[in-house]
Amino acid sequence: MPEPIKLTVSHAPFWHNGSQVFFKNYHILLATLLAVIPGLLKYGAPALSVVTLSIASAMIWELIMNYLTRRPISIGDGNAALLGMLFAMMLPATTPWWVVVVGTFFTIVVGKEIYGGLGGNPFHPAVLATAILMLSWGSYFDFNEALVNYQFDFNPVYPLALAKSFGTGAVEGFNSLDLLLGRQVGGIGTSCMLGLIIGGGYLMLRGYIRWEIAVSFMVGMFVTAFCFHQANPEVYASGSFHLLTGYSLFGAFYLATEDSSSPVNFIPMLIYGALGGFLAVLIRNIGTHIDGVVFAILVINIVNPIIDKIRPKTLRKVANYA
Amino acid sequence: MKRSFFGFIKPKLTYEPITDSQPEPVYIQAPQKIRFLLDTPEASDGVPALSVGDQVKMGQRIRADADGGDYALASKAGKVTEIAPFIGMMQAKQTAVTVAVDAEASQTADDEFKEKSQNPSLDVARQFLQALPGKPDFSPFFNSDRLIKAIVILGLDRDLLSTTNQFFVKTGIESIKTGIDILRKITGIHNVMLAVPESLVQVAGASGAGVKTVDSEYPAAHPQLIVRHVMADEIKGGGDAGNADVAFFSAEAVSAMGAAFNTGQLPMNKLVTLISKSGNKRLVCATIGTPLKDILNRFNETIQDGDRIVFGGPMTGVAVYTTEHPIQPDTDTIMIQDRSQIPERQDVACINCGECVRVCPVNIPVNILVRLLAADQYEEAVSQAELDACIECGLCDYVCEARIPIFQYITLAKTTLERMKAEESNA
Repeated sequence: MPEPIKLTVSHAPFWHNGSQVFFKNYHILLATLLAVIPGLLKYGAPALSVVTLSIASAMIWELIMNYLTRRPISIGDGNAALLGMLFAMMLPATTPWWVVVVGTFFTIVVGKEIYGGLGGNPFHPAVLATAILMLSWGSYFDFNEALVNYQFDFNPVYPLALAKSFGTGAVEGFNSLDLLLGRQVGGIGTSCMLGLIIGGGYLMLRGYIRWEIAVSFMVGMFVTAFCFHQANPEVYASGSFHLLTGYSLFGAFYLATEDSSSPVNFIPMLIYGALGGFLAVLIRNIGTHIDGVVFAILVINIVNPIIDKIRPKTLRKVANYA
Repeated sequence: MKRSFFGFIKPKLTYEPITDSQPEPVYIQAPQKIRFLLDTPEASDGVPALSVGDQVKMGQRIRADADGGDYALASKAGKVTEIAPFIGMMQAKQTAVTVAVDAEASQTADDEFKEKSQNPSLDVARQFLQALPGKPDFSPFFNSDRLIKAIVILGLDRDLLSTTNQFFVKTGIESIKTGIDILRKITGIHNVMLAVPESLVQVAGASGAGVKTVDSEYPAAHPQLIVRHVMADEIKGGGDAGNADVAFFSAEAVSAMGAAFNTGQLPMNKLVTLISKSGNKRLVCATIGTPLKDILNRFNETIQDGDRIVFGGPMTGVAVYTTEHPIQPDTDTIMIQDRSQIPERQDVACINCGECVRVCPVNIPVNILVRLLAADQYEEAVSQAELDACIECGLCDYVCEARIPIFQYITLAKTTLERMKAEESNA
């Protein structure tokens, strides 16, 4: 009797639509380049060293944690690299190396791995790390101080800091087109708004990030800022100014939309995004921090599990049919 | 089959419509050996219904346990050569009975049904017809908790790629009509509906039953969804919903039933949609119990180590482990996958992307469900994540970005819960 054929046996379904975690992370990583490359051109080699160090150290932290927790090596899925990239994008170009390494430690180890790795984190890991660093070593996030040695052909003052201290009158010199094209100081990858919009738009179109969250975040932000501006145009800057400065668009496209810390149902996604935008402007306008996006996203990450309980009613079975 | 380029467009899997150029089914020669799988384990009290060496007649009922339970109909006369335990899906205890078929000249038929078919009734149907091609299930009519108000005949296929039942509607509407008349007579239920895809509405009109169109997008043909969307008025009408219910039959089963009562002969040929490795579809007509390898040989399909053979469609079928596996009364589709076509699975944690939640036809919070199931918290999965509402369409698994075998988790949880329940009620 011939040797029987060994067939593959597995459970249904026998098809798959082909999506993979790997593809998603690499697509997002590629989309961020649209905003990162203009930043590298603007800030030069120091920015490149921050970005590369951040990505490399994030991957190394993940590898170390993989060994320590005896889990499969997961740096291949691109998530550590992506988180390293997102963290670096928020930093000023002159950030010292040890701040980057400590930051990626908080991102990967404290933000992600101690919760069990990808999918388990309650907060966006890069946001958590940035918030910790902002509170611990706030001076490194002072863009005016950090970028003082650069010569720019535009107003080299961080627009949000200017608006916070001196009111709307001080930022009249910034026009929307300049802000959109990244002619402003800020994080390495967060100041070229056009790059962020194109990258984010591509990701929304391809479904790699949930458009509901990004759009409602921007709408929430614009509407809140618009209301403040209407109430007191001299103190509070306009909606478009808020949208085009600081971490706003970066937060909308890359931070609020992180899978694990955001809701999955339609209405919760809208609430989540809008709440984030609202809180970000609230913190900017009446809080003590210059940019509220990071803290706003931490807050919506916390409320995410509760909002996500709002979901369509499950259709119950009438009876069992074989 | 792949994810759409624009991610916000939901994946659309559509049922295979039957085309006008559909070639006639290919008949497979009568096999030398037939085999039946019975859902009941071999008699535990030592009184087997059959033993090796027994002669069976064509149409005779084959049981594993003399006391009753599931039966198969011997599709050919022959001699029993083997009775062995068989492990089915999720370790279901089954029995495999193998019969060596007698020569064509010495085939003898069992007359028991022929006598009883003179007076068609539900009892006769339950006793003799449950193993007809298409596997008609008469048990809902004997369940006192449920009040059957309507009968739906599925003139469409439950899974993708299959055209088996559509073929019956397209080419055999007369025999379906005969079957419907008999169903009406024996059940006393006149509200009979024929559910068909858009393209067959015209043909279906000739059946004498009400015609319902079912959407072409998977899983619209699932009985649960047909009940919900298509039959909502029928079962809720009259205000006494509660236990009102619908019974389902496939088009093939109804036409086999009609033929059985009309002629007194039990139809034994099963129509199967065979999907080859290259994606070619053929309709094949084979005697129930024919081993798969007879069919593969007929079409010169070569099978290698690592390939996958699926009984049933790509979303809900069952992979078999041997080419000896027989054609069963409910085998509508056989799909062969080359090992290079088998998608890779992983066992990683849910990344909470939410694709499954948005694709679920009954709105189950799959992201919560899969966490509970992975932690073996089956009872919590029922109370917090609506496990029991799942209609087992497989879509969540199909779109899972982390490639978690969600469907397998669900099946495992459901069978475990069922067995726990059975043990409790036995204790």
